[in-house]
Amino acid sequence: MGPTPFTTPSLSRRNLLLGGAGAASALFLSGCIGGSPAPSTETSSAAGDINAPLTLQSDLSDELPKKAMESLVAGYSAHKLTMNTVATEQFRAQLSSYLTSQNPPDVITWLAGSVARDYAAKGLLLDVSDMWTGDGACAKFSPALKALSSGDDGKQIFVPTSYYWWSIFYRKSAFEEWGVKAPTTWDDFMAMNDTLKTKGISPLTCGTGSTAWMASGWFDYLDLRINGAQFHRELLAGKHSFDSAEVRKVMDTYATLIPYFDPKGRSYSWQEAATPLINKKAGMYLIGAFMTSAFPKGDLDDVDFFPVPTIDPSIPSAEEAPTDGYFASAKTKNPAGTKDLLAYLAAPAQQQAYIEGAGSSNLPTSPDVDTTKFSPLVQKGIKLLQDTKEITQFFNRDSSDALQTTADTALTRFLDHPDDVATILKTWQAAAQKIWNS
Amino acid sequence: MANVTSDAPPLAADRPDDGPPPRRGLLARRGVTSRVPPVIWVLLLVPLAVELFWVFWPAFNSFQLSFTKWNGVGAAQPVGLKNYRTLFADPVFHTAIKNTVIWAIGFGGLSVLIGLALAVALNRPRRGVGIYRSAIYLPMVFSLAVTGLFWRVLYQPDGPINTVLAAIGVDTGEHQWLADPRTALAAILVAAIWRQAGYIMVLYLAGLKGCDPSLEEAAAVDGATAWQRFRFVVMPQLKNVNTVVFAVTVIDSLRTFDIVWAMTRGGPYDSTQLLSTYMYQVGFSLVNLGYGSAIAVVIFVLAIAFIITYLVRATREED
Repeated sequence: MGPTPFTTPSLSRRNLLLGGAGAASALFLSGCIGGSPAPSTETSSAAGDINAPLTLQSDLSDELPKKAMESLVAGYSAHKLTMNTVATEQFRAQLSSYLTSQNPPDVITWLAGSVARDYAAKGLLLDVSDMWTGDGACAKFSPALKALSSGDDGKQIFVPTSYYWWSIFYRKSAFEEWGVKAPTTWDDFMAMNDTLKTKGISPLTCGTGSTAWMASGWFDYLDLRINGAQFHRELLAGKHSFDSAEVRKVMDTYATLIPYFDPKGRSYSWQEAATPLINKKAGMYLIGAFMTSAFPKGDLDDVDFFPVPTIDPSIPSAEEAPTDGYFASAKTKNPAGTKDLLAYLAAPAQQQAYIEGAGSSNLPTSPDVDTTKFSPLVQKGIKLLQDTKEITQFFNRDSSDALQTTADTALTRFLDHPDDVATILKTWQAAAQKIWNS
Repeated sequence: MANVTSDAPPLAADRPDDGPPPRRGLLARRGVTSRVPPVIWVLLLVPLAVELFWVFWPAFNSFQLSFTKWNGVGAAQPVGLKNYRTLFADPVFHTAIKNTVIWAIGFGGLSVLIGLALAVALNRPRRGVGIYRSAIYLPMVFSLAVTGLFWRVLYQPDGPINTVLAAIGVDTGEHQWLADPRTALAAILVAAIWRQAGYIMVLYLAGLKGCDPSLEEAAAVDGATAWQRFRFVVMPQLKNVNTVVFAVTVIDSLRTFDIVWAMTRGGPYDSTQLLSTYMYQVGFSLVNLGYGSAIAVVIFVLAIAFIITYLVRATREED
């Protein structure tokens, strides 16, 4: 008998087979299945070592934000501090292992809202309530931010340092060329869509290809304008059905917008979908203020926005303002040092330095930041959020990433087949129910 | 004709690359244990221990996890067969299974056919044949993720593919290859085959180099047509390569992940979801590790079933 036909590659191929098929399993190596239960108290960390070095885990891996974070870290001298930067996707996947590890990072960048609340409920986050009272670093932040940063038990577990707004962005020079003005009513908005379309311009652009979550932007806003923020929050919390008359009304309005979307947006990411807007081939873009990072530096003065117009005047105004910041691990070896670092990061000077360094259009959460030097666009954003009655975040931040995938499937299908709305909503509700039940 | 194979000498060139002699042969010899020096045992047992720890133990964990509900935090809750029951009723899982089958057949079948055809066409020394071979093999040096990004640009609505199609007067409707559920999977398949065919070609070229040309000449003298010579003289000699190609192809198609993730992330609305991408989405994007592990177990069972069946058959024929 000769050598088996599988000779040389057998070793590596077998490894590939087992390793490849069980790709997931390799990462479960830690073998903590059914392992130590979640720590439910913070007593172990209450008496820490004030001299223990600190670790900051950051997902701000884009060039400018990363640089801005590095200079903040370099400016911190009270404790020895190391920063690890990990790309967001990987960061998201590993976040729970950071928090449950024996030696967790002390301070972690992340999003306020449901994710932070879930970790807090499991006892994984450091209680930072004392930073929100007296002369604590967050004491002067707005009550809305405080509510957003609180766990289910009313304790604060999050330190917000910046947020941004969503609106319909456009180029001032393009609107001038086309002879249109930012609309203030829904009817004006729809009329303008018609005007632009007859000029051969795609009125709206939206990158729902590789960033399918962009389709939730319009869904959120139409729900906020038609059913209001209260209903929207309850809907995302599972208290209403997606297969309801209210949501059907939202989808019917959404359907009237579909003819105005640039159809190529179905293939684009949010960044790519900004190109038609920059080139004046598309008129408007409902997106977060982070879109300015996709704009050429020289054209930034030309960017302006208007809020999604009111549809039903009886509904209180609401805007989406996703909030970013930090939370800390309950298991930190140095709770006092950790809070000191959080206070440093939340201080007006650092907020300002970060926003300027990162080149973002984010807004500071501290009222003490001198915003007079910020661009007129950002000033307008601050005013928008100050004047609005209700603030929500975004679909996934107000619910969960799992619910977001159900929305992505339902809404991208809807954009292709608006006539199938009845089936789509039924399937959406079934998929969402599965997540709420689990 | 059939005994041509068994008469053929074992050919070193059948293998794509040279490596250490197979372990199997060493262990199979009788009475070998007493004569094996301890250092050999160390060299055998250390890799075994490493493999047990790094491959079998995590695989076992994955099996265990598939019977639990776990989001990576705290203790996993045992849920029995619930994950599997949910899985078999999950419409996305059905799409993923269907797509994986389409993928295995499309990717496996086409890349082998094209690879073999290219190998046969480029086997004879000819002027500039080396350039063709290198050019066809070249895509293999890119990772699948890079291939995916590269093809994503080609498939853009205003991208080169639509420009060329419009220039020659076909499909002026600016088709959105990756955004249309009817074409998305096929579009990814083309990109994956573009890369894989060169690899298969190199494997077959190595095999063809080992074929005895005198056999083919003899068959030609006997009046066999070109197809008959290929089918009954060359193909049997490629048997060993076929086994390698089959194993490589099945494994590669079942573990295909990066190119789909880079091009569509399983979208639009889950229409290009493969088992591997769905497993990743559930397990790592949504951190639903129990459910994700159940999908991983399905992938594992499929891969093992395929490979074992084929290996058993191949070894039996060998005897």
